[in-house]
Amino acid sequence: MSETPYILQAKNLTKIYGENVIFKDICLDVHRGETIVIIGPSGTGKSTLLRCLNLLTPVNNGQIFLEGQEITAPSVDADQVRQKIGMVFQNFLLFNHLTALGNVMIGLTKVKKMPPDQARQKALHELERVGLADRANHYPAQLSGGQQQRVAIARALAMDPLVMLFDEPTSALDPELIGEVLGVMEQLAHEHMTMLVVTHEMGFAREVADRIIFMEKGRIVEQGSPEDLFERPQHPRTREFLGKISELYGKKEKK
Amino acid sequence: MKKFTWLLCLVVLASLLLAACGGGAQSHLEKIKQAGVIKVGTSADYPPFEYVDESGNKTGFDIELMEEIAKRMGVKVEWVDMPFDSLIAGVQEGKIDCSISAFNYTEERDKVVDFSEPYFTAEDAFLVADTFTGNITKPEDVAQYKVGVQSGTTQDDWLTNVLQLSEQNLFRYDRADQAALDLKSGRIDVMMADAIPAKALAQKIGGLKIVYTGVLSSGPMNIVLPEGDTELAKAINDILKQLQQEGFIDQLAQKYFTE
Amino acid sequence: MGREFTLPIFAIGWQRMLNQFFSYILQGTSVTVAVTLIALPFGLILGLLLALLYNYGGFWVSRLAAVYSLVMRGVPPIALLFILYFLLSGRLVNLSPFWAGSISLGIISSAYQMEILRGALQAVGEGQMTAARAIGMSRLQAIRYIIVPQAIRLAIPPWSNEASIVLKDSSLVYALGVPEILRRAQQLSATTQQPFLAFGAAALIYFVLVFLVNRGLDLLAEKTKLPTSMA
Repeated sequence: MSETPYILQAKNLTKIYGENVIFKDICLDVHRGETIVIIGPSGTGKSTLLRCLNLLTPVNNGQIFLEGQEITAPSVDADQVRQKIGMVFQNFLLFNHLTALGNVMIGLTKVKKMPPDQARQKALHELERVGLADRANHYPAQLSGGQQQRVAIARALAMDPLVMLFDEPTSALDPELIGEVLGVMEQLAHEHMTMLVVTHEMGFAREVADRIIFMEKGRIVEQGSPEDLFERPQHPRTREFLGKISELYGKKEKK
Repeated sequence: MKKFTWLLCLVVLASLLLAACGGGAQSHLEKIKQAGVIKVGTSADYPPFEYVDESGNKTGFDIELMEEIAKRMGVKVEWVDMPFDSLIAGVQEGKIDCSISAFNYTEERDKVVDFSEPYFTAEDAFLVADTFTGNITKPEDVAQYKVGVQSGTTQDDWLTNVLQLSEQNLFRYDRADQAALDLKSGRIDVMMADAIPAKALAQKIGGLKIVYTGVLSSGPMNIVLPEGDTELAKAINDILKQLQQEGFIDQLAQKYFTE
Repeated sequence: MGREFTLPIFAIGWQRMLNQFFSYILQGTSVTVAVTLIALPFGLILGLLLALLYNYGGFWVSRLAAVYSLVMRGVPPIALLFILYFLLSGRLVNLSPFWAGSISLGIISSAYQMEILRGALQAVGEGQMTAARAIGMSRLQAIRYIIVPQAIRLAIPPWSNEASIVLKDSSLVYALGVPEILRRAQQLSATTQQPFLAFGAAALIYFVLVFLVNRGLDLLAEKTKLPTSMA
């Protein structure tokens, strides 16, 4: 282990698609066990940032460090890195031909080369963690959206990641199913899992996040504790965005 | 994968080049004798020359003749059954050593393969009743008479397309013996048939005679050999000559061409 | 020489004749089945490889695979059979007519199977690949454990169609002298002058074979179908 206090660090990340600058000079320091919620208008590069952090998409410039090791170095095996960074997608992306158990197991048996018996034990444990042990033998098509997303979380957790990335994990869900997914995430935060969450769920951000980052047009406009950001936003753009969001989600925010 | 594709292209090219300039030290005939087997192509769908019998064995005039030729060469025949159209290519490309399949000589075929001496020439005959008073000295003379023939035969083809006999003078029969009986009873004047069965019919039914024999409806038959393979050609031609002198071929014809 | 020639053996009565027809033609069934059992899996493996190269191989490799498919679907099967057997066999490798025929049909079929599988692979969707990569799978692992198992399921119905086509195309090996069903029917037709019976018997055997193949694959599709109902 290295001496750095940061589990994940990004330095001057820049991503450009053709003529479009998705984000530019993003710097990010993530402490061990920290829950960071990234908010901001659509199309500001939040999702792309997550994809860059676990090397699904290459950056054009900048460096990423995981536990002090540069993972953007050319000699690094990206597949190795991704095992250590879990990711949960907006549209779940469960493997359709595998049961819930199979979805959680396959990374263990094929990537970690764990013996099947041991992998099954661990996978069942992870499903239990997300409250779905009784759905182990169901196929994705037999599960509700909320259940699918919880299996997806279990699938990522099974790899014992250092960091979990959530890319709008509840955006594709019916309102009544959002709660169960947020509940699992909240529980993870309490267990001190390091998490980076892109979401529009302001209630979750306020309750669970250690830090909130407001991104707009490919830049970090402002960041701070939920209290600071929600009660005393420094930047006019932050105020404007939060105003619009609370108009939209107003009633739900009050709890 | 790109590499692999290039490799494949190279291999194909190289092998084609090799094939173009390759050549064996041993002659074809020596190879056949050493192997003890001659691969002979035939299209076993042309009775009575080559066909399959009840148990699926190849039999027929050509088949038995070739078995005898091979026996005298001291080798066994390995029959390769192919559609007729594939046989020439088979000989040309060395997939078979030779082919016997009622082949007639044509100039087109001679450009790519060689032919043995003819081993059999199918002769046609005109048969009349003993009481026949007409005059047939040349084939065209039959045009003025009522002519009977077995339908679908080469003789039928010759009468229809070469002689262009008028339809009211042409009588087609399912079987040759039906025509012969009508000939005897005077319903038709002349009958055209293969010479060997015609002789047999005349004897069997009685009161009939042959007034003309000649090669009209089909030509001599030859074994197809690889182009320029004079050694194999000589070996086969020598044996054919013997078989002709011994009367073996006539006996075979008697066996297969008389019903 | 006379063409009309009836073997006394076959003049015994039509029932006996029909019996003999079937027993003789049926002997060719093993050849037909064997050719199909070689050509189909050969085409499947090659087709799958080509489909993967097409989808994941990058620009030039993908182009090469597309050209292969175009050429092989354009070549008449009989022409490839002749090229492989009469021109290449004996120079490149020594192939018997049976193997040359089976491999030729496999090569042709690989182009069609590539098209089937290419579509099926695309239908699986990019997301599955992304999710597989996200848990640390390499591209190859993702293709092997995630993409292909799903694509194969999607490909079974169109593949069943291709299987029938290969089964029937297997008759083409007769051109190289392999005595399969059709060639035997031809021989019988010539010997007995009963084309209707001979080819009718062959058609019936083909029908039964195609029916069995389609039924079998339907069952396979049913068995591998993923449950969709909420349980």
